[in-house]
Amino acid sequence: MSARDEILSSVKGTLARHDLWFPPHDARPLTRAERMTVTSGPTAPIDLANRFGKELATLHGSYEVVSTVPGARMACVNRIMSWIDEEKSERKGMALNTGQEMELLGWRAENLALDGIDEGLKAVGLRLITPESVDTVEDRDAVRLIRYGITGVEAAFASTGSMIMASSEPGANRIASLLPFRHLALIPFSKLYPTAEAWMAELRQFGNFAEWIRTHANLSLITGPSKSADLEGNLTLGVHGPKFVHAILFDDIGGLGTARPWDTDDLSDEEYNR
Amino acid sequence: MAKTTKQHQPVTNYSIDFYAPFDQRVERSLNDKYLRTAVGRTVDKMSDGRMAKMGEVDGELLRTQTRQMKEYVLRNLPQLLESFEENLTANGGHVHWARDAAEANAIIQQLARENKVKTVVKSKSMATEEIHLNQALEAMGIPVVETDLGEYIIQLDNEPPSHIVMPVIHKRLEEISQIFQDKLDMPPTFDPAIMCSAARHKMRADFMQADMGISGCNFAIAETGTVCICTNEGNGRLTSTMPRLYVAVMGIEKIVPTIEDAFLQYQALCRSATGQRMTVYMSMTNGPRKAHDIDGPEEFHVVLIDNGRSKMLADGYGEALLCIRCGACLNVCPVYREIGGHAYGSTYSGPIGAVISPLLPMHVTDAGKLPHASTLCGACKDACPVKIDLPKLLLDLRADDVAAGNTPFFEKQAIKGFVNAMSSRKKYEQAGKMASIASQMMTGFGGGNLRFAPPPLSGWTESRTLPPFAKRSFREQWKERVKARHAQAARKLSAHNLTKGGSD
Repeated sequence: MSARDEILSSVKGTLARHDLWFPPHDARPLTRAERMTVTSGPTAPIDLANRFGKELATLHGSYEVVSTVPGARMACVNRIMSWIDEEKSERKGMALNTGQEMELLGWRAENLALDGIDEGLKAVGLRLITPESVDTVEDRDAVRLIRYGITGVEAAFASTGSMIMASSEPGANRIASLLPFRHLALIPFSKLYPTAEAWMAELRQFGNFAEWIRTHANLSLITGPSKSADLEGNLTLGVHGPKFVHAILFDDIGGLGTARPWDTDDLSDEEYNR
Repeated sequence: MAKTTKQHQPVTNYSIDFYAPFDQRVERSLNDKYLRTAVGRTVDKMSDGRMAKMGEVDGELLRTQTRQMKEYVLRNLPQLLESFEENLTANGGHVHWARDAAEANAIIQQLARENKVKTVVKSKSMATEEIHLNQALEAMGIPVVETDLGEYIIQLDNEPPSHIVMPVIHKRLEEISQIFQDKLDMPPTFDPAIMCSAARHKMRADFMQADMGISGCNFAIAETGTVCICTNEGNGRLTSTMPRLYVAVMGIEKIVPTIEDAFLQYQALCRSATGQRMTVYMSMTNGPRKAHDIDGPEEFHVVLIDNGRSKMLADGYGEALLCIRCGACLNVCPVYREIGGHAYGSTYSGPIGAVISPLLPMHVTDAGKLPHASTLCGACKDACPVKIDLPKLLLDLRADDVAAGNTPFFEKQAIKGFVNAMSSRKKYEQAGKMASIASQMMTGFGGGNLRFAPPPLSGWTESRTLPPFAKRSFREQWKERVKARHAQAARKLSAHNLTKGGSD
């Protein structure tokens, strides 16, 4: 018998025993109606943006909330330029001379959900690098020393300051939010949700959620900058991932007051899972 | 049905004697003057964090629901495993099954051989510690780099982890600094930021060139075929993104039914483990890279290991399979706090380690003694995010141990003596008298405490004193008390009669 069949039939045989006291014979799954929403968040977009920022800031990230798209473009360029200045002054003349000081590792401009960002970056001499491959040593050498990463998000959760990155979208990649030392995330209000549970509820409602998940090879939930407490409990930032995470939250839906209907409790389980 | 799984081989190159007898391991820990400070400080911080973060939400409901979900998983384990396998295979991943450690290691060695793997990067994983995967790969000449900062440090120092989520909890900054100086040629520094940045630089190069990434699995989603790993440093994300091959090793009990269940468990895990709302990263891998992906692994393999788990279920210890490996029970345990993780001599330490180490086919010296190393105070049960009744499981294991005849000689004799003494009132009273005279003699009738006693009681008097037995037994004292009260009552009565008589 194969290992698979042996393990499965052994467990099946055990579970069929009437004298088995654990797990309970009547164990039932959590239904959608009873499963708790662990955290809670506000509903109005501007409140979601502010809450997200506040949560991210407590985790040693930073944020700004911008009310217009041109404003967001400007904030984005300004942030990168000030990061460049910061890094320059930190090195105090010990220039690294990678020739990549003005490069950004990122998603393709059309994936950043911010109109005209391409031109905005070019205008100040920044180059957005969107590699077609990172498989060979040369490919990797071309991106490994880039200090700044810029990405959009698939969704962001206000109650915990978390963002979801989905792979397998054309023009997106995983490395831009992973390899650089500083990560700039562009979050339009339309991608903000109060909680992870609200996001899942919406996707369940609008189609086959499980199928949607499976069309992406990888999904990553990111909550703040990389950190560790392994050195005798001392907080150290930027262990493997970015040390600086900055979110620019901007209004892409016009009108800051309209709340979306987050509450899906009036749906039956069947409707919900459709 | 369940074939006896092969016992693991011990690891020979640890820098500490991990396989010494239990008493020696404990003695070594108790004599380490820094261990208790280092461990105590950190576990207190983690416990405070857990209570704060469980307290800011309906933590009790979160525990109840996570347990309910996990109970359902165990009850439907075969079906959920099959659906996980089906979905992951449809996503383009490969599922392997291993009865024991040897099979799991052989599968991964074979993958490494077929793909001409030269180096491996690893994200922290207790399952791979359990099967000693690093040693298996190193035996075929493939260097393995542990990339969690804590694991990296203990790998440099050739030690096993001493905590489920904080592998290097037992080391002070000074010791870590010394290891970095010795092994990485780093200039002396106590600045955590500098040490961290040196490690980042060093390991980034490893990530860029490794052919294979290996991780454990915090939970896997059946309905999507997704493996989820939670890290704070980002090494889990790098491990599952940069190398051409990604292998995840998971116990068969790590399944959850739906995506929502995964997020529920994720939040129970983060809040209980480190007192965070969410870990910095959760990487959910469904399969190898797809058409539009420019990065991510080309191949994705999952190794499902039984290694004693199905037997645990069959033997009535299924409740321990609810464990989500958060380490909360270690952080509150008064025994763990005193002796640290290494004294358990097993991959898994603390209360949950004392339960599963004797049950899993691991090479643990004196594993049977671990369930006895508990005060049964119940703090672990209160902290557990899935409410595992650890004290009960520990008692069950003790009962099994006694039923198997593993009672120490003196204990057996003492029980025999006790039975004899209790068989008649006369014998009982005599025994009491003798104990009283003997203990009074040993204190020199001075009224002080016993400072030494003959074996086996010498074990107690080595570090504590023992009050001697009372000169008169309780029964004698009681008899006198009753007599005195009767006399008093008689006096009262006669006095009463007298006054009554007087008023007539």
